[in-house]
Amino acid sequence: MLRIHGLHKSFHHNKVLRGVDLDVEKGDVVAIIGPSGAGKTTLLRCVNFLERADRGDMYFDGTHLDMHRASTRDMLAIRRRTAFVFQNFNLFSNKTALENVTEGLITGRGIPPRQAEDIARRALDKVGLSNRLDYYPAKLSGGQQQRVGIARAIAVDPEVILFDEPTSALDPELIEDVLGIMRTLAHEGTTMVVVTHEIGFASDVASQVIFMDEGLVVESGPPRQVLAAPAEDRTRQFLRRILPATNLVV
Amino acid sequence: MGLDLEYLYRTFLLALGGLPVTLGICVATLSLSLPLGFLLALVGMYRVRVLGALASLYVSFARGTPIVLQILVVYSLLPSLANAIAVNAGWNIDVFALNPAWYAIIVFTFNTTAVLAEIMRSALLTVDKGQLEAALASGLSVWQAYRRIIVPQALLVALPNLCNATINLIKGTSLAFLMAVRDVTAIAKIEAARAYDYVESYLAIFVIYLIVCGITQMLFSTVERRLGIYRAPAVSF
Amino acid sequence: MDRPFKPAYIVEALPRLLAYLPLTLGVALATVVAGSILGLALAKAKLGRSRVMRGLADAYTWTLRCTPSIVLLFLVYYGLPAFAKAVFSVDISLWHRAFFVVLTFTLFFGATMSELMRSAYLSVDRGQREAALSHGLSEFQAFRRIVLPQAAVSALPNVATSVVALLKEGSLAYTIGLVDLMGQGTLIIARRYGAWALETYLAAALIYWALTVTLEKIAKRLERHLSRGRRSLA
Ligand SMILES: Nc1ncnc2c1ncn2[C@@H]1O[C@H](COP(=O)(O)OP(=O)(O)OP(=O)(O)O)[C@@H](O)[C@H]1O
Ligand SMILES: [Mg+2]
Repeated sequence: MLRIHGLHKSFHHNKVLRGVDLDVEKGDVVAIIGPSGAGKTTLLRCVNFLERADRGDMYFDGTHLDMHRASTRDMLAIRRRTAFVFQNFNLFSNKTALENVTEGLITGRGIPPRQAEDIARRALDKVGLSNRLDYYPAKLSGGQQQRVGIARAIAVDPEVILFDEPTSALDPELIEDVLGIMRTLAHEGTTMVVVTHEIGFASDVASQVIFMDEGLVVESGPPRQVLAAPAEDRTRQFLRRILPATNLVV
Repeated sequence: MGLDLEYLYRTFLLALGGLPVTLGICVATLSLSLPLGFLLALVGMYRVRVLGALASLYVSFARGTPIVLQILVVYSLLPSLANAIAVNAGWNIDVFALNPAWYAIIVFTFNTTAVLAEIMRSALLTVDKGQLEAALASGLSVWQAYRRIIVPQALLVALPNLCNATINLIKGTSLAFLMAVRDVTAIAKIEAARAYDYVESYLAIFVIYLIVCGITQMLFSTVERRLGIYRAPAVSF
Repeated sequence: MDRPFKPAYIVEALPRLLAYLPLTLGVALATVVAGSILGLALAKAKLGRSRVMRGLADAYTWTLRCTPSIVLLFLVYYGLPAFAKAVFSVDISLWHRAFFVVLTFTLFFGATMSELMRSAYLSVDRGQREAALSHGLSEFQAFRRIVLPQAAVSALPNVATSVVALLKEGSLAYTIGLVDLMGQGTLIIARRYGAWALETYLAAALIYWALTVTLEKIAKRLERHLSRGRRSLA
């Protein structure tokens, strides 16, 4: 459904992505793992055109797009078919929880306000926040904010949701709430691309795991292959560092 | 020394007659300066090349020279310039019969636009980049993102400085008498010279400016409270 | 235009105006010194315990913030001699006009400075003073060696802005007849029966512009120099 081919991106002389491919089918949960600085965030941001790629092709349901040349219209079109969940939430601080969700529906997609509000209520209900509709982000805990972030993403009924380390800014006791919601979404068949350091989540939920390092995809495949029996040395080293020895067998 | 309170009160009422002129100049100036200043702030922020250099030169000059000089320069330049243009273009208008308040509006807009540009530039910079990104990722266009998310947040941050700028503008218009505008100060000045009673005249308008600026401050803090409901309770020291 | 614009007259006016720069700067300097002392007293009142003093200081600042310079200048220039005559039977109406200018702008500058000093003082983390005290410094030493330097750095940009504002507002002194830079400009024009006014005003504007830009540059330098050892969040 969504295919990226030969994605390159550098900042000044720092080559952050050096030819990355990504292939996401409908209903897939793709987990992207890798050490800090590997270019995971940059990859997601390029897919959503928050960064402009230097080179790369995007095939979205067969239509082809030159990622370097994409016009404002192209970018807007892609963004309206996708959603992004940020590591640090980025909730609109001048909007309530409900308005955060309706904004993209009403302003971005022209859905009538009444209908948008119904959709938003349902989305917030799903993440367990129907009692916080009128709260401003400043009055919500980190976990609640990220749940609003997820509601904001699912409400627009995107074809794919991009998650950039959605739990890494959260206190440990709040992480499971958010991961639980993401599990539910996965079981319902939501297509997701998730950058994460939660190896447990990746091995439970992902249909495909991608290990990235230094701007390249080093290894990819189903979790029982990449996580349990990695073929590459670098993958093994990374997993050993990130996991306590006993958990290596998934 | 004995203040002539009755005279003071009469001058007070008389000078109040100039208030519509004073406020009119302020309102006209602000309605022109706010959009212009905002555009200028964007030009400055996005480093539009030549335009950016010109803009910063203008801001530096307008903020770095006394307003009284700006008034005198414009007032010794503009009427004859406008007349020359009108004559050359064959328009049949008497430039010198123009209400001098127009010149005042031009000078104060020239000055205030630069001040507001600085204020809005620094206010826009306080808005986190993530807000723009989240808006774009939500499917808003850049224009929609600015209008619905970025500008409202920046405006709130800018409010205290906007209040200052407005008060400075109100106070600044007290120099409009240099352009033969009949504002609050001009009326008091004429009255002072006529009755040879300076202290009472200036005390009267002193009170008027206190009231006007006081009300302005109250309006701004009301707006700030109303718009600022989304902020976390202020951290107290 | 009824006559051509002659840039040569700008050049011609510059040295004649610059001759009066020392007076303009002297008035500003005197105002800064006197205004800072007044500001310090007001800031102390604002941070002090007495509610009456706090209220008075706040009311004073608020009032001055709402007063146009020209109005206070006229009030001081016309009102003070009348007051002195009535109350002390002294005639000060012939005192040098610079006195009235300095007094007027001291009243303004003191109000501004008191606000800057107050917020600069409060911006220094309380732990800094406590750490100094528990290190064996006296209250005064803690203020002088730890709190003051930090407060000064945080106030500096705003102080520079205020001094620039003072210089600019000070140009109004010519309206009560002080012959400073600006006053000399109006005199030159008057002697020529209004001819070349635009050029003369532009010359004065250029001098003020150079002055304020220089001042801001100096403040930037000073700030960089003083803020060694501090890392900002941005
Ligand atoms: N806007 C930018 N300007 C310059 N360099 C950048 C920018 N964004 C990212 N980089 C650089 O690109 C490299 C990859 O960054 P990226 O954020 O994609 O890594 P990551 O894999 O997401 O790491 P992490 O796990 O720490 O989030 C880093 O070296 C980073 O310094
Ligand atoms: Mg990252």
